[in-house]
Amino acid sequence: MSSEVMSSLKKDYIYNLMLKGKREDGRSFDEYRNITIQTHVIDKAEGSAKVCIGDTQVLVGVKLQVGAPFPDSPDEGVIITNLEMNPIASPDFEAGPPKEDAIEMARVTDRGIRESGAIDLNKLCITEGEEVWIVFIDVHILNDDGNLQDASALGAIAALMTAKIPAERAGKGEDMMMPIRDIPVGVTVVDIGGELMLDPGLAEETVADSKLTIASNQNGSISAMQKTGEGMLTSEQLLKAVDMACAKAEEIREKYLLSI
Amino acid sequence: MDREIVVPGQLLSENTNESGSGTYVKEGKVYSLLYGVTNVKNRISVIPFSGKYIPSRKDFVIGTVFEITSSNWIFDIGSPYDGLLHVSEYPRRIESSMMREIFNIGDSAILRIKDVDASMKIELTLREKGLRKIKGGRLITVPSTKVPRVIGHNGSMVSMLKKETECEIFVGQNGRIWINGKDENMDKISEAIDMIIRESHTSGLTDKISQFLQVQKENEKDSEEEKVEDINTDLETVETAEPEDTEDAEKIDEISRKVDQLLDTEEN
Amino acid sequence: MANKPEKFIDENGLRLDGRAVDEIRPMTIEIGVLSRADGSCYLEWGKNKILAAVYGPRELHPRRMQKPDEAIVRYRYNMAAFSVEDRARPGPSRRSIEISKVSRDAFAPIVMTKYYPSAVIDVFAEVLQADAGTRTAAINAASIALADAGIPMKGLISACAVGKVDGQLVLDLNKDEDNYGNADLPVAMTQDGEISLLQMDGNLTKEEFKKALEMATEGCRQILEIQKEALKKKFASREEVVESLIEVDDIKLEEIQDEIEIIEEDLEACDFEEEEGIEVIVVKTDVSEPADETSEEEFTEFTDNEDSEIDETEDSEEEKVGE
Repeated sequence: MSSEVMSSLKKDYIYNLMLKGKREDGRSFDEYRNITIQTHVIDKAEGSAKVCIGDTQVLVGVKLQVGAPFPDSPDEGVIITNLEMNPIASPDFEAGPPKEDAIEMARVTDRGIRESGAIDLNKLCITEGEEVWIVFIDVHILNDDGNLQDASALGAIAALMTAKIPAERAGKGEDMMMPIRDIPVGVTVVDIGGELMLDPGLAEETVADSKLTIASNQNGSISAMQKTGEGMLTSEQLLKAVDMACAKAEEIREKYLLSI
Repeated sequence: MDREIVVPGQLLSENTNESGSGTYVKEGKVYSLLYGVTNVKNRISVIPFSGKYIPSRKDFVIGTVFEITSSNWIFDIGSPYDGLLHVSEYPRRIESSMMREIFNIGDSAILRIKDVDASMKIELTLREKGLRKIKGGRLITVPSTKVPRVIGHNGSMVSMLKKETECEIFVGQNGRIWINGKDENMDKISEAIDMIIRESHTSGLTDKISQFLQVQKENEKDSEEEKVEDINTDLETVETAEPEDTEDAEKIDEISRKVDQLLDTEEN
Repeated sequence: MANKPEKFIDENGLRLDGRAVDEIRPMTIEIGVLSRADGSCYLEWGKNKILAAVYGPRELHPRRMQKPDEAIVRYRYNMAAFSVEDRARPGPSRRSIEISKVSRDAFAPIVMTKYYPSAVIDVFAEVLQADAGTRTAAINAASIALADAGIPMKGLISACAVGKVDGQLVLDLNKDEDNYGNADLPVAMTQDGEISLLQMDGNLTKEEFKKALEMATEGCRQILEIQKEALKKKFASREEVVESLIEVDDIKLEEIQDEIEIIEEDLEACDFEEEEGIEVIVVKTDVSEPADETSEEEFTEFTDNEDSEIDETEDSEEEKVGE
């Protein structure tokens, strides 16, 4: 029970801080917590990355298998994204099949990758209409201290960037690196009492009226968005959120991803 | 082996008379039940490094309401066991229909444990001096095993914190700490408590924390001029917390209603 | 996938990974790696990577699962989809459900569940990378996570497997030995060598089994040492830890007790009038708390006192645990 109800004192505290332009941990509204990305952490996976944002920890593994293409895209590889909110990561998570939160987060992560064309799916075609590479992106949440969405998206693209297609093992020609064409970065903006902030911590996430995740690409265009939560956003807020998210995405891409 | 880090199952003594808390006896020998530190007085006991708060009678705790039944408020008290506050344990008579106005979900209070039965049903009371609903201020959570550190030897740490920061502090045995005072002082105290927890395994902690607060004060003086500006801008936008002042406190309350529209809706 | 090696043990009696037949793979342990968990452990053993967390004791839902006189222990062994060569389907499999069950049973003899009636202690072991012997690796990690969570236990549990390759018994199978071996015998035991988990498949003679059990016992003994060392090393400076924890413990309890009682009496005597007076206001304005009227001075005094009392109750709490 304990974590389901947040004391109103804590809510007031976060709200009052916001009114003064401050946050719980002293960050500014557009500041992330410390980000670390470790790649090649799981040898058994074709690509992997462990992302920490503050105390939030997410492990993403990419596996590849040969399979059949979808009938409507016979010459394209397939992306399947799955996200597990394991009970190891939070007292609030329960064992069992993914619940709606996990499914939503997996799908938002998936759209960021898919719609940006980050992976050149044509290059994942082995024999048109028969065999293509299936890319499994498995997001394993290890510790939830807020903003799992951004950590998942960041882990997914980082793991993909390190992924090697095991063609030799499968007898399908030579191994090759994952054909990466773009580096989408998902950034979530939360609205707390009308103010927009990036990278919500756990308490901020609980207090937030709504969240907006924006995945943007290298050329600054947007490839996926998702509004979550019961609150409403004005169009001014939306436009501002997009600006904030794209700017931060650019920064994260430069600082953490291009070097992978 | 006066004071030693021990692990569960570690042999502590061959004299069963020395079996203290956190130990067990097997075949005439005393072993540790816990991961912690031994303390040897008449007996050997083991003080654990970590562990959940387990309520016991007469403990003071800080709880948060998460459910309201027809005659009980159910408090989360940071333990495996929820606390029940029966309406009759509220200091005055109230109707069942008014319960939500007294304590709504999310409200916190300083409570005392009235009774704990064998099945760990926890009964709380508010019918004692000092027990009350908490309004204003902040709640900080620390591991309950660290509570003695926050209090210090004979209460030395808490007294020092109070003196240096001019804040009210209440340390619940369940690891929840309520502080109330000027915002900047509460910031200081939260930092100090963070530091206590972080460095709880080092000695001379009270002095360290005291020093830390002194340094904070110095810095404050230095930057006073800058601050004046800050405060002016603050005042325009916000009613900053001056919780002793009820008027301001009420304004803050009003603001916070926006945060959680569920809260206090019945009031209007 | 690699083909079956011709020989698993060379002429010098060494295995393909260079180990002797009675040698375990290197093991590293990190404690307290997850901020949300009550206890946690990251363990690498060979190429196995295991993350274990303990949550609890905590409230158990649904209520009908509760035991009124003790806590129940739940154990969940789970493999990450990417932990194995061919992606594993997420979620429980028949294999993982069986492993979870026997692992839970392995901890039953040592976890002191009777201190936490009606509660649950949840143990989660996530296999992030699998390389033979994951169930034993998970148990070793879980054992540490339980200690880190402050759960009272009669001792740690240590686990390892013995197998047979090329007709010879080997301790702690690696992946190839596991895949192509003729027997696998995972064992978990207490520090006294009492066996709390045992499974076996393959083929062993009685004599081989006896020998295998001896090897497993020796393996577990080595692992226990690694576990103990990891726990003891968590705190850099022993002296200091000890000082700090003890500091609070040495207070004269009776004195404090007296003081508290006096103050309580005083306060109770003077309190009610105040509260009656406020009641009217409270009802009308709903600003609420009677106790709000407590002057700061009184309150300070009160808290001061109770600070000391915490030390007292700490001791009485100990009484509950110790026997």
